[in-house]
Amino acid sequence: MIIMMEKYSNQKEDEKIRQMLLSVKMDAPENLKHRIMQQIETEKALTPQKIKAKKETGSVLIELGTIFGTMYAVLAAMIAGVYFLFGKEFLFSAQFLGAVILVASIFSLLWLISRLDAHIREKKRVLSKRE
Amino acid sequence: MNENQRIQQVLSGNTSAFAYFVETYQVMAITIAYRICGNIQDAEDVVQESYVKAFRNLRSFRSDSKFSTWLYRIVYNTAITHTKTQMWIGVREAGIEDASHLADNTLEMNMDEKERKEIVADVMQKMPKGDALLLTLYYMEDNPVKEIAKITGLNEPNVKVKLFRARKLFKEMVVSSYGMQVTGS
Repeated sequence: MIIMMEKYSNQKEDEKIRQMLLSVKMDAPENLKHRIMQQIETEKALTPQKIKAKKETGSVLIELGTIFGTMYAVLAAMIAGVYFLFGKEFLFSAQFLGAVILVASIFSLLWLISRLDAHIREKKRVLSKRE
Repeated sequence: MNENQRIQQVLSGNTSAFAYFVETYQVMAITIAYRICGNIQDAEDVVQESYVKAFRNLRSFRSDSKFSTWLYRIVYNTAITHTKTQMWIGVREAGIEDASHLADNTLEMNMDEKERKEIVADVMQKMPKGDALLLTLYYMEDNPVKEIAKITGLNEPNVKVKLFRARKLFKEMVVSSYGMQVTGS
């Protein structure tokens, strides 16, 4: 009985403290929600750009791999062809080395042009966005 | 629509769905931050930072716990970092001992609402930050001890003990500072 009375008294007291504390509950400023949502919207707006930047890096690597991969395939085919048609000695001739350099230069130029093109496109895109 | 569905909406790109969480929990978030920071400007900054953190890390939220608990934990940690406060050190043990005689008493406040609010606000301001925070979480939000333990990082028995002491201290401060009527139960 005493324990029950004590429990009841504690509950009553708890309720009183609760009421007292609830009376001093703070109000959030009116603009706080707006501030928070604005910052979150800004964060969100910035996130896709990060992904795009990552995609850009990825496309450069793919382009690099494609162009120079093709170049090495062409060079390998040339070496194999020359080896079987003219023999091992011809591989070390100045004529063949010249041909190899020419192929490498053409592919390098091709890669340079593609990068330049991508750069110009990106610049144009940024300018049109600003406008 | 329940909270988990709203979270899924936010995660799928509907940012405006996050406004529900701001609207629902901002009052308690600012109260927690205010108890730790001690001023409203810092509390606002802490709450804003906490919501942004919550938004960024929403994917890491596990739906097995309450969103409010997860958010209040972020608010608590952000406020601690912001103020560089050590919450559970330097508790007024003397005050706690003095308050022990009040354990069996009941608080009676015979005064008008405005005066009562001022007194309670003043007492909460003067109390150690940790104690005021525990009372806030326990009484204002009806958080069970388990949830309070998750928010503060204390263990459950520790929360119970600190809560008991905080309650006593609150009563003692209300009574001693303002000479309120204390009647035996």
